[in-house]
Amino acid sequence: MREQKGPSLVTPGEVLGRASDVKAGRGAYVAPHNSTVYSSLTGFLRTISPPADSPDQRPIVEVTGHKAQGAVPVPGSVVIGQVTKVMARMASADIMCVGPKSVREKFTGIIWQQDVRATEIEKVDMHLSFHPGDIVRALVLSLGDARAYYLSTAKNELGVVSAESTAGATMVPISWTEMHCPVTGQIEQRKVAKVGS
Amino acid sequence: MEYVSPEGLRLDGRRPMEMRQIRAEIGTIMKADGSAVFEMGNTKVVAAVYGPREVQNRGQQISDKALVRCEYSMANFSTGDRMRKPKGDRRSTEISLVIRQTMEESILTHLMPRSQIDIYVQVLQADGGTRSACINAATLALADAGIPMRDLVTSCSAGYLNSTPLLDLNYVEDSAGGPDVTLGILPKLDKVTLLQMDSKLPIDIFENVMQLATEGCKAVANYIRELLLENTKELEYRRGV
Repeated sequence: MREQKGPSLVTPGEVLGRASDVKAGRGAYVAPHNSTVYSSLTGFLRTISPPADSPDQRPIVEVTGHKAQGAVPVPGSVVIGQVTKVMARMASADIMCVGPKSVREKFTGIIWQQDVRATEIEKVDMHLSFHPGDIVRALVLSLGDARAYYLSTAKNELGVVSAESTAGATMVPISWTEMHCPVTGQIEQRKVAKVGS
Repeated sequence: MEYVSPEGLRLDGRRPMEMRQIRAEIGTIMKADGSAVFEMGNTKVVAAVYGPREVQNRGQQISDKALVRCEYSMANFSTGDRMRKPKGDRRSTEISLVIRQTMEESILTHLMPRSQIDIYVQVLQADGGTRSACINAATLALADAGIPMRDLVTSCSAGYLNSTPLLDLNYVEDSAGGPDVTLGILPKLDKVTLLQMDSKLPIDIFENVMQLATEGCKAVANYIRELLLENTKELEYRRGV
């Protein structure tokens, strides 16, 4: 009935179908006592046909709300962060973006010394890799401990993407370990990310 | 005192089974993730929802579901005589607890482990039925925040004065000291999540009163649903422009 029409609006608690006929997707749930699929959000109802090769051939019902949830880093996602503190064995960073999306709340990440680069990992000097205030691109390795995500810059395209020199000018990368200050001509050490191709 | 006149009218001119006018507005607080204002006659309540967000106090974190917190307060100017301490007294603590339990029943907390949802409700103007109004406002705010719920919880009160069941008591009727039933239901699932009563009632009359309160809750639910659909359409329209 409802499925044939265009996008229809539903509110929480509305019946979307029997659990034997449809599968609950995002924004829908199955009540165990009467195996009925209900909506759990306010928004548009969509019916998606299942992938042809799946054994379960029930169509999936999905409700998309209008509120965008803030992005949350997950293992494997590439994040942009700002370095806040550099210590001998690790650096901490505040995560600002997950992929192309900005985060709504504060997430902190830690880059351990052994995760800064792929080779000669024991010779890494954290102070010659990052400085507080640098903008880094990093890969989320794991959810980490209770305080911070564990990040890694051990890839060519990961590392510092933007940094200011001690003189306060934005520096230009000149190699994968060095950046050049256009004001003073000074060269500073960083783990530079390879930007572009 | 006579609460129902011989003509069958109450002190404010309503019929015994009549509700006060309800009005609500969604998205009144910009900073909150979800917010709503709910009015039942002269009772006016504002609710704000923050979350799901990271748990502030790590000791309270629950590993398999979300922590729901609720704070109820009354504005100093909400009652006739100015209130000294608008929150933290026994009554506010009890209502906070009641609202929290009622909303927690409806929220699909297992979908948001290790996170926290804060519900703040404040009474701007009190004229009886603040408990119900707060629950209705909180439901709207949660729906606005896009928090997954089993159903919309709605609430309404009913009483029994002058041998007549009365729907949606106002302050004067509430302070008459008669039985006052506050009911909260999940209207589509037909389940009761909150039932409170002051003083006593014979069981057969209680059933009548409860039936009346259920009708009231369903009326509120219809209004809330209409409003949510209207709001979503409006947002979609604005996005299209």
